[in-house]
Amino acid sequence: MVREGYQPPTAGAGPRGSTHTGHEVRTQMTYICGDCGSRVSLAKDAAVACNQCMGRVLYKERTKRMVQFEAR
Amino acid sequence: MPLVDDGFEALLEPFYNGKKLTDPISTKDDKFQLLPAFLKVKGLVKQHIDSYNFFVEQEIKEIVRANRTIRSDVDSNFWLEFTDIRVDRPRRQDHNEGKTTRPVSPMECRLRDMTYAAPILVDVVYIRDKQKIIRRNVPLGRMPVMLRSSKCRLSGANNDTMEQMNECPLDPGGYFIIGGTEKVILIQEQLSKNRVIVEADEKNNIISASVTSSTHERKSKTYVTQKKDKISLTHNVLVEGIPIVIVLKALGGLSDLEIMQLVAGSDGRYQDEFLINFDEATKAQVFTQHQALEYIGARVKMGSKKAQFGPQVRRNNVEEGLDALANLVIAHVPIEGLDFYPKAIYVAMMTRRVLVAAHDPKLVDDRDFVGNKRLELAGQLLSLLFEDLFKRFTVEVKMSIDKFLKKNNRAVPLDAVHMISNHANNIGMGINRAIQTGNWNVKRFNMNRAGVTHVLSRLSYISALGMMTRISSQFEKTRKVSGPRALQPSQWGMLCPSDTPEGEACGLVKNLALMTHITTNVEEGPVKRWIFTLDPGVEPIRNFSGAEMHREGSFIIHVNGTPFALTRYPKRFANRFRTMRRRGWMSPFVSININTHFNAVHIATDEGRICRPYIIVKNGQQKLKPEHLKLLHMGKATFDDFLTHGIVEYLDVNEENDALITIYEDQITQSTTHLEIEPFTILGAVAGLIPFPHHNQSPRNTYQCAMGKQAIGAIAYNQFNRIDTLLYTLVYPQRPMVISKTIQLIHYDKLPAGQNATVVVMSYSGYDIEDALVLNKASIDRGFGRCQVFRKYTAELQKYPNGRREEMTHPEDEMDGDVRRRVPKDEILDNDGLATVGYRVKAGEAMVKKRTPLDQTTTGIGMDRGPSEFRDSSVSYRIPDPAFIDKVMISRTERETTVIKVQTRQTRRPELGDKFSSRHGQKGVVGIIVEQEDMPFADNGLCPDIIMNPHGFPSRMTVGKLLECLTGKASVLDGRKDYGFGDAFRSHPVEQVSQVMLDHGFSWEGKDYFTSGITGEPLEAYIFNGPIYYQRLKHMVQDKMHSRSRGPRAILTRQPTEGRSRDGGLRLGEMERDCLIAYGASQLLLERLMISSDGTEIDICQQCGLFGYKGYCHTCKSTKEVTKMTMPYAAKLLVQELISMNVGVRLQLEDEFPHPK
Repeated sequence: MVREGYQPPTAGAGPRGSTHTGHEVRTQMTYICGDCGSRVSLAKDAAVACNQCMGRVLYKERTKRMVQFEAR
Repeated sequence: MPLVDDGFEALLEPFYNGKKLTDPISTKDDKFQLLPAFLKVKGLVKQHIDSYNFFVEQEIKEIVRANRTIRSDVDSNFWLEFTDIRVDRPRRQDHNEGKTTRPVSPMECRLRDMTYAAPILVDVVYIRDKQKIIRRNVPLGRMPVMLRSSKCRLSGANNDTMEQMNECPLDPGGYFIIGGTEKVILIQEQLSKNRVIVEADEKNNIISASVTSSTHERKSKTYVTQKKDKISLTHNVLVEGIPIVIVLKALGGLSDLEIMQLVAGSDGRYQDEFLINFDEATKAQVFTQHQALEYIGARVKMGSKKAQFGPQVRRNNVEEGLDALANLVIAHVPIEGLDFYPKAIYVAMMTRRVLVAAHDPKLVDDRDFVGNKRLELAGQLLSLLFEDLFKRFTVEVKMSIDKFLKKNNRAVPLDAVHMISNHANNIGMGINRAIQTGNWNVKRFNMNRAGVTHVLSRLSYISALGMMTRISSQFEKTRKVSGPRALQPSQWGMLCPSDTPEGEACGLVKNLALMTHITTNVEEGPVKRWIFTLDPGVEPIRNFSGAEMHREGSFIIHVNGTPFALTRYPKRFANRFRTMRRRGWMSPFVSININTHFNAVHIATDEGRICRPYIIVKNGQQKLKPEHLKLLHMGKATFDDFLTHGIVEYLDVNEENDALITIYEDQITQSTTHLEIEPFTILGAVAGLIPFPHHNQSPRNTYQCAMGKQAIGAIAYNQFNRIDTLLYTLVYPQRPMVISKTIQLIHYDKLPAGQNATVVVMSYSGYDIEDALVLNKASIDRGFGRCQVFRKYTAELQKYPNGRREEMTHPEDEMDGDVRRRVPKDEILDNDGLATVGYRVKAGEAMVKKRTPLDQTTTGIGMDRGPSEFRDSSVSYRIPDPAFIDKVMISRTERETTVIKVQTRQTRRPELGDKFSSRHGQKGVVGIIVEQEDMPFADNGLCPDIIMNPHGFPSRMTVGKLLECLTGKASVLDGRKDYGFGDAFRSHPVEQVSQVMLDHGFSWEGKDYFTSGITGEPLEAYIFNGPIYYQRLKHMVQDKMHSRSRGPRAILTRQPTEGRSRDGGLRLGEMERDCLIAYGASQLLLERLMISSDGTEIDICQQCGLFGYKGYCHTCKSTKEVTKMTMPYAAKLLVQELISMNVGVRLQLEDEFPHPK
């Protein structure tokens, strides 16, 4: 993507904060049901299904962290 | 749910060009309005859907009715009957179906890699314990459902419900979803079945009439051939050709006179020619029917009855011959009660055709004539397959029932439903597999076709639509004959003259025109009854002798190619027949035409004929009146109403020959029979995108047809909901300034693929030679040609039979000093081992972290246990240019395995080398991107987006592009949409357009004053400029750019790998090598072919000439004569491979610089 023209020097490793401090506990992740839009939290090895509507297509939520785009 | 009227529904309605109800209507200008009305009920993709509906609703029942009973060989009391069959609505296969609130939608199938299929249900009646048992709704496997067919969830859905289901209302449908991929069964073109085709081989002086008989039982081909004046009948089941007189004698014991009359009538010329054939029979000592059958029976191939199992009763030659004639030769003419006369008439007719062709070489048939072709659609192909599978299924059920009944002491009474359900899945699986692989295997017909189905191309809306109208030809792809490839005059209006690929498949792959319809089967019985009741002069052919049939003025009426009745008033008969059809008394797709060459009337009711609607003209007056259009306008009439009221009718290619069709209303004369609805419908959907195609050189239109499918744009309204393997979308797509009616009809203006660029035609900078374009950098900054590329990465967590399974794992951490951080590779992963949505992903980073068990085979029972380790099998991003994670989806497949789909997104702006094209086959790459300051500008401040080199015009002769520019400019200036129509075969309002430009202070010829952006001086000429619709094509530099210095090598040859995807080297090929040799650049050669490639140090024994190893020769057991040398590894490999094949190879060495003696 970035090939021609002036490239501003990027500070650090880019948009994502790459350090993870502290131990992560094996948290339950939450997903969004593709059918009804409700939030579904799934434990590991749980059946992939929305508990509201039994919809079986789940999407990951978008990150809450800031993402920096290069406006070109 | 409440219906929301968002005003969208109206957009999908046929358009009437903004006419108000009170506006005056003229049939001349407005008759095209029939076209949208037609497309609403038929056309384009509807043929696929019609064909599938016909199969699922009627044909499938017919097939089951024909094979409905199963009887047991063991117990004669047992029987089983399938009383009904139907295809249900699509369902999930999951067990938790009951809990889900929604029925399965096509989108769910796409996302979850499922098959969009519906259960097949049968009703069965059978005997259990001497009782009749009726079971209803026994499942019989699953039938894939065609989208938008009558069984589909989308049928009858309005825009709102479509949106609820995440479907695009503009999606044409007509395809299947098998395992999550969209599959199309392409239309197949074939020579028509059950019709006689006469061909002449000029070189060998052979004339033959052939017919491919196709019935439900078998398919076979029969020839009647004239060779050296002698006529004989050949067929696969016969060892040699049988003299025709013997065949005719065998068919009902005709006397010589009867045979002569049947073949030649009373025409002396034919009689003389045919006479010699009687000698053949005399020579063979055949005088009676018995002798003839004996003669034929002796020549029936043994082993042809192999298919029937069990001990066959030996039959004598007469029975053998009788059987062959009755069931195998010309099998589609049925023999009822051993009455061979109809078949004798048929054979005689073929013979007569041969004689006629011998007399007048012009009277042979043309294989390439579209009327002699039939198009096979999804429904027909599926019915072939289903019939085969169902027959196999009944045989299997019968066998297992027999097996069960053979047991003497049974614990439970036989329940046949178990047997059915045991074998039921084979049917659905068989159809599924056929559609998935595209291999159509029907044993009975010896059908073995590959590549029947294709993945629906979703590159752009047009490419998907173009695929649905594509026709692939079955025969001869490599042969260098021009006949089948050439444009046939009979293709007019039926097949698009422009839309065909270039190169290998040119002319063999065709596309349907806009108004083409393909017929489905119409029942023959009622039509036959009509024939006799219509006209008193029509009598069954059975009642006549040959003399009467061929009498001057007698016409034989053929039904689907088989002689059926005789009339002396063919014109009157045909007129009455047509009248009845126009009144709606019989199917509009039954065709009738008179052939005066052979004194025949042909009536066709079979499926796969190509036809098209016309306006009926009678007594010099067209039937379409303004009031009809008004009714259409008000929505009070549909196209089908016009059909039943005799205003329009369908003609197939054969019937076209009987009609006098005029294109324009003012050309109607007393003898005109039909009026064309709209001339531009001779083009197909893809060629319809071109404005003013009639002003272009014809190949340019063909080029555009190929390129229109590669244009990046919107593919569907649900494009961001579906996760395609590769999806290109344009960021700011625009409706073309200059459109055509076709564009509106196929809704290209709602899903466009391109932008209106302001183009000036001039030379600039020298970076615009050879069709290169100059692009304005500011335009690019504003979003011109900006596109997004989405890619899908899938991971399915596999389960292995030994209970082990793949699993997701945690991202790995490492200690960087005191800080704990992710390893670089796993940087973008979340705790669940999946990439975080929104993050940027670089090459080498993992997106799905998963691991595979090393042990996949052991059973886990007792000591049989494999290692419990895992291997990392993460899915990582491998493309050099980074992308953003757009979407991560988790779901379960039908097999209850977890499937993960990650979609990445890249936004790309046009760069040097990206490909663009206008709609006139004028493609070009970006040659230079220029700052806006340096671009030329007009005195009103207009600055171009694209500068195009004028050298692109003279040789290409794409005048349509100039007209598009002019029309577009006028349309922009005046703000009037109606100027912006570039329909084919309409006159162009140049003067009006010029006047508009003049009115707005522009030059009438579209050329304006421009100032150079570099020098600030006025350009020395007026520059032609205006908006032209430009498409961005999918070929982009970023996907092709490649270089390598060092890199991977192939394992076998140790030479650099090939191809960009494997980071391969650039090959110095034979021709390049030849150049270097000729030039004498030996060191360069050595470097390219050895040092930079696969040079290896080898030990060679000078004594035996074989390879040594580590300075020691294993053959000579010494180190004495072993020397080292460098040679290509591939050469060393060749030597060893030759040795392994028992070809001795010895290497003899000599000094490069011999020692002076």
